Amino acid sequence: MSIDPGRAPPAEIGTLVVGGGILGMCVAGFLAAEGRDVAVIDDGGIGGTIANAGSLHVQMQSRFMRLYPHLVAGVEASLPLYKRAVAFWHEFTAALGADVDLKMTGGLMVAESREQLDFLAEKVRREVALGLRSEILERDALHRIAPYLGPAVVGAELCYEEGKLNPLLANAAIRAWATGSGVVLVEGVAVDRLTRVASGFRAETARGTVTAGRVVLAAGSGTRRLAACLGVNVPAEPEPLHMNITEAAAPLIGHLVQHADRPITLKQLGTGQIVIGGGWPAHVGGPRRHPTVEAASLVGNATLAQHIVPRIGRARIIRTWAGLNTTVDGKGVLGPVPAVPGLFVAVPGDAGYTLGPLSARLVADTVLDRPPEIDLAPYSPARFGPLEA
Amino acid sequence: MTIEIEFEGERLAARVGESLAAALTAAGVRGFRTTRDGAERGVFCGMGVCQDCLVEVDGRPNQRACMTKVDRPMRVAREAHARPLPPRAEGLPPTTADGLALRTPELLVVGAGPAGISAAIAARRAGAEVLVLDERSQAGGQYYKQPAVDGPGIAAPDAQHRAGRALIDEAVALGVEILAGATVWGAFAPAEFLASTGGGTLRLTPRATIVATGAYERGWPVPGWTLPGVMTTGAAQTLWRTARRVPGRRVLIAGNGPLNLQLAAELIEGGARVVAVVEAAPRPGPRATGDLLAMATASPDLIMDGLRYHARRRAGGAAMIHGMVVGRVEQANGGLRVTLRAAGGGATGPAFEVDTLCLGYGFEPSNELTRALGCAHDFDPARRQLAVRRDADGRTSLPGVFAIGDCTGLGGARAALAEGTIAGLAAAADLGHAAAAPLAAEGRRARADLARHRRFQAALWRLYAAPPYDTALADRDTLICRCEEVSLGAIEAALADGLTAIGAVKRCTRAGMGRCQGRYCAPVLDALLATRLGRPRDEYSGFAPRVPVKPIAIEDLARTPRP
Repeated sequence: MSIDPGRAPPAEIGTLVVGGGILGMCVAGFLAAEGRDVAVIDDGGIGGTIANAGSLHVQMQSRFMRLYPHLVAGVEASLPLYKRAVAFWHEFTAALGADVDLKMTGGLMVAESREQLDFLAEKVRREVALGLRSEILERDALHRIAPYLGPAVVGAELCYEEGKLNPLLANAAIRAWATGSGVVLVEGVAVDRLTRVASGFRAETARGTVTAGRVVLAAGSGTRRLAACLGVNVPAEPEPLHMNITEAAAPLIGHLVQHADRPITLKQLGTGQIVIGGGWPAHVGGPRRHPTVEAASLVGNATLAQHIVPRIGRARIIRTWAGLNTTVDGKGVLGPVPAVPGLFVAVPGDAGYTLGPLSARLVADTVLDRPPEIDLAPYSPARFGPLEA
Repeated sequence: MTIEIEFEGERLAARVGESLAAALTAAGVRGFRTTRDGAERGVFCGMGVCQDCLVEVDGRPNQRACMTKVDRPMRVAREAHARPLPPRAEGLPPTTADGLALRTPELLVVGAGPAGISAAIAARRAGAEVLVLDERSQAGGQYYKQPAVDGPGIAAPDAQHRAGRALIDEAVALGVEILAGATVWGAFAPAEFLASTGGGTLRLTPRATIVATGAYERGWPVPGWTLPGVMTTGAAQTLWRTARRVPGRRVLIAGNGPLNLQLAAELIEGGARVVAVVEAAPRPGPRATGDLLAMATASPDLIMDGLRYHARRRAGGAAMIHGMVVGRVEQANGGLRVTLRAAGGGATGPAFEVDTLCLGYGFEPSNELTRALGCAHDFDPARRQLAVRRDADGRTSLPGVFAIGDCTGLGGARAALAEGTIAGLAAAADLGHAAAAPLAAEGRRARADLARHRRFQAALWRLYAAPPYDTALADRDTLICRCEEVSLGAIEAALADGLTAIGAVKRCTRAGMGRCQGRYCAPVLDALLATRLGRPRDEYSGFAPRVPVKPIAIEDLARTPRP
């Protein structure tokens, strides 16, 4: 592929995917792999996928339960989807023949008190009922499998279904697969306006206009504006979150580690670097509306990490950044928009990277007019009220 | 005064006050750490930026030898990639930003070099309360760095040292508080800073801030430029000017600009054999007369300094080679074999076998803090670097934030002194401290001085005009990103894959993801992409700014600084 930074979109395309993150690239790749002509337009630079940390979440995140208690039911209903999504990551990367540092190490959600452990025990009961493999480990059993944890940790939930991968490797492999399958990638330009025309849709960009028979909106929180162009309500919101990464250290932390009552996720990548995040806020700021980190999150997040895993105290943070989560109502927004034939939405639920490839497969199936392996009715874009003026 | 330290089980005599880098260099140590790919690295920048001289000190991993002062007996070991984190029985209680030690100075000055100290003096004289933070163990910055050692047989301070000492003493006498050994690593809009000092973290919320963080030396990406024994001119000068140590017995100095000549004179004085000074710019011809005259008119004493350095170079037997650059470095006979090339592409030149190669190919502004804050910057095509946007008083686009000196684009120490006076008075005035008449007159004088120094600098760099700094001399295996060991070939492969955004190249190749925060690879990569893709460079075309601007140990975030 030659370098063409100012590449114009094709004048006409069968399917236009807006958004080149994990969802958009995967949807486009799945369609192209079945011979469809597909283009992806991505405005470049700022997005969830490019800033992702690579956790594969399955158990309900306590962060989410604390922040959005009214949405817990929605997430709980989606738990089997998360389990299937992790399995799909395995199938998908195996099919790509790509080593993306995918490891099913299990996820620990640690407790510092009896109350927190009791909370986890109840959570385990509900998750097991929904088909997850999880159990409670008391202090001794926990410290045997996770000797890196500090004395403040009294027990944990171990969810066997969780793991991690290196998103830098995965994104590069997916990009190579998609473009190799024939996806036309137009980067660094935004879709300014989206309208309906007789033959389908018209997308206007600074580099020209493209007419498409079908459109898939996979633009994270940017989907809201694009859907509104067509009178469709997708109430997606950006949620910038703080992330830290340390210099490399010898393998120490095998699991994906979270906390029952405090916002933290930490894991060690194959590079030896420890990635610390878990829901501390960042904000969108500056003249370019960039996700930007905050001092309070850096201090709170990193000092909590060394409290749980004392050895982390000796590691140095070499970089922080703001990841960009997309929140809707706890569930993904996936599939066709009944009111606008030819329009599809592909916005995953909480932990969108985990859900990405599977969600993309399901949406691609609806674009291909075939029934997806999971009923998308609960995730239909039709569930939101009309667009408010 | 000497003190015994232990390095890899061997006892070495160090001078109290010198850096660990100086003590180890004097003992003949060149390799300080090994990389992921098993390569040896040693002192390169000498100023806490490149992270290549990392060693373990008393069990603490990844300590910069160049920034670690020998003030006690120490056990030092070579560092290796991804070693186990040392045991720690329990963590410290988690804390919050509000739980950190807080300082709320009226005026914060970041950087105690000529610009920062001069600004602090001016603002203090106008009545402002001023706190100056500097990463080094002593104030003075690069230009006025102070001797850290003394004793029989150790060369006494020279005029440049003494001028710096006088300036620092004046600031302290006026009541400026200088906190040395404090690294400002975080800047958060609109006006919040985090610094590591005394083993803990300090939070600062000043009413106004003057950023005077100086500059760092560019890399020179040619085969072999990451080998131990290859260091910047500034690193070698720091060894001599602070510790009175020379970087090796036989030294080749190559680069662009007058600092290389000063280093040659200093190392010869220190007893090193400087084999040659290699200058990228052509030998000044008759057409240089106008520029030399302009310089002599603006700063005759600097011209005299230059003549004196040349005389010492000649007396020391160091050849002066014009119009050539370093083309390749290899390990040979226990030292380095350095092959020159004609500047701007062309014939291979002579080769030299030396212990140490000093590279002084110009500077990049240390604008990490102004970028992190979100101050507007413009690309300066003449200097090929970002310059922070500011008014004649040094005010950036952010209210209450000033930027002065070399962090705004290279202007030299004298311009920095003048800018300090101007910005110091302006910041004090903005804070409600109007300057009395005599002080205001000094401000006017500083503006006249600044104009003069800028004329000098303009003529100087016309004289030293050299071909641009790029990847022309690199081969496929030459590292562009020192930290993550990313070669030009790997970057070319990413470009061939169709990646066009610098962030995408970063995420694909890992270039710029290392400990130095892309300081060496970012300018090269940004220029490469701009050339290949035919697009202009601007404040967004390089890597996005990221904090911490220097790596920060997590345990230090949870601790209160020792006083």
